[in-house]
Parts: sequence; structure tokens; C-alpha cells
Amino acid sequence: MSRPRAVSPVSAAVSPATAAVSPVTAAVRLVRPPAPDARGRTTAATGVVIGADEPVLPGHYPGFPIFPGVCVIECVRLSALAAPPPGAGPLTMDEVESTRFLSPVFPGDELSVELTWRAGAAGWTCTAEVATARAAAARVRVRFTTGEES
Amino acid sequence: MTGPDRTARAGQPEIRRALPHRFPMLLVDRVLDVVPGERITAVKAVTCNEPWYRDLPEGAEDFGYPQVLLMESWCQAAGLLATWEDPNPDVLTGKVMLFGAVTGLRYHGPVLPGDVLEHRATITRTLGDTLIIAGESRVDGAPVLTVDSAVLAFRPAGELRPDPALIGESHG
Repeated sequence: MSRPRAVSPVSAAVSPATAAVSPVTAAVRLVRPPAPDARGRTTAATGVVIGADEPVLPGHYPGFPIFPGVCVIECVRLSALAAPPPGAGPLTMDEVESTRFLSPVFPGDELSVELTWRAGAAGWTCTAEVATARAAAARVRVRFTTGEES
Repeated sequence: MTGPDRTARAGQPEIRRALPHRFPMLLVDRVLDVVPGERITAVKAVTCNEPWYRDLPEGAEDFGYPQVLLMESWCQAAGLLATWEDPNPDVLTGKVMLFGAVTGLRYHGPVLPGDVLEHRATITRTLGDTLIIAGESRVDGAPVLTVDSAVLAFRPAGELRPDPALIGESHG
């Protein structure tokens, strides 16, 4: 058993050249690195612990913190960047093809994120099943382009 | 302004009476125009003083506004449209507005500090307590976000309430 590898939150990236802005500060933990499944698709899994100190929580909502649905999508995006399909270039999210929010996420929850990659005409599609210990939290399908977006 | 006043303009007092979101997640600055039950135009100015920019290292190159916050900001404009005539800024009582699903939300280019987002949202269908809303966000007239459909539903606030015994690993 190898120890899970911690991936730094994007906002704390080491290089100024690659640092990017994110409303989510939680670290993405790689639970299962990208690897082909029985059907030849690349799958991976991550875990994200939502701390009570996430910067969005004081305003969402005062006295009643709920981790915003869009931040669940951000956890998917950060997980996808931490577990990209082998050989893919730099990934830029260009479409949330679909998302369904199924149950709320609260501070203290750990999100488990199961990713499935599919190659498309102009990039990659990542389908993510996100769950807390209680229930499925969201199903998200995101499309990424590869290379620089201008 | 002349003509029949079916449209309204609103600032922070009105917005805060309608939305439960607060700093740093209140992402609509002003409503330019709203026709209840039909459409809204609202703006948000992006600034590098938002907390997401605080920890960027010196020498950072990428100041792109977080894409999911652009989504959130548009959704809040859509939420204002949905609740304009019956606002409930309390997430603990009554019926609360929830985004159940979004499809076909496309990004068309980066948003940077100094940009003023102009959100446009239109109700395309109403199904009982559920609204389908579509729209876009523009900067200087050019679309930066388009949304095929967002489903807003009104649900009893109790559905959001956590069962404390089930949350996280509070036993440490």
C-alpha cells in the first residue's frame, strides 16, 4: 500500500507562473491515480476534506455554512487537474456539460470524487460522481480543452 | 425613464433583501433591469481585492476570475429573477431556492479584475415550483459565459438542514 499523495491546493502552487485563483483552498488527495479500467477508460479517485475555514463559508451562509454547489464543481475541476488522463496537455475547463446537485455538503465532510475520462473531438470530458459519507452529493460532467486558451 | 415602468433597478439593499448570500459570496452588485417572471439584467464588477486573489504569489501571471464563481454570479442573478416578487433571504425558514441542475454552461474566455460582468437571464419554462432559466454573461458586449439551462427549485428549508450526528468525523 502506498501512502496517498497530497496535491497542493492550486492557490498555494509553488510557481508564480502556474499559480491560479481558486475559491477552494482544500487540498486534493489522490486516492487512486489515473489508470485504465476494464473498458479502457481512464478512471481516478480523489478525496477532498472541506474544512470549516474554507473562505466561501462565512458568506454561504452566515450562521449556516453550506459548501456551495459551484465549489463542489471546483473540487471536481481541481481533482481533474490533479488526475489528468495520461498524455493530455494542459487542461482548461470550457464547459460544464451537466451537473446535478443531489444533497448538501457541510464543513467537516470529506468529498470522495470518482473521475472517468473520455477523449473527445476537441479535448477531454470528465464525468465525476461526488459523494459525502452520507450520500451522493453531485454528478458533474465537465469538458476540458487541452493547451492554452486565449 | 419614461414609459410603463415594468422594469426595475435595484442596488445592494434590495439585493440583500432577496438573497441570503453575503461577503465574500454575494456576487451580484446591481440589478439594471428586471421584468418579474421574464428576465433580468444584473452586473458584478470583478476586482483583485476579492479574497481569492489574496494568496497569489508575487509574480503570478494568471489572474483569471475563478470560473465557478462566474457561474455562481450568473446563478445569483437568475436567483434574483426567480425570487423578485417573493424574496426570502433566510435559508432557515420557509422555502429556499436551490439550483438542482445546470446543463450546457460554456465559458468563452477569461474574466479578469477590472471586468464588469453583465448577466442576462430569462425564464424559459415554469413547472410548478420549478423554473428553467437560460442566459449569458458579457464583458464589454462579448459573451464570456452562456447557459443553456439552469433548474431552480423551491424547497422547504428543512431539506437543507444537516443531521449533526451524520456530519463529518466530529469524534476526531
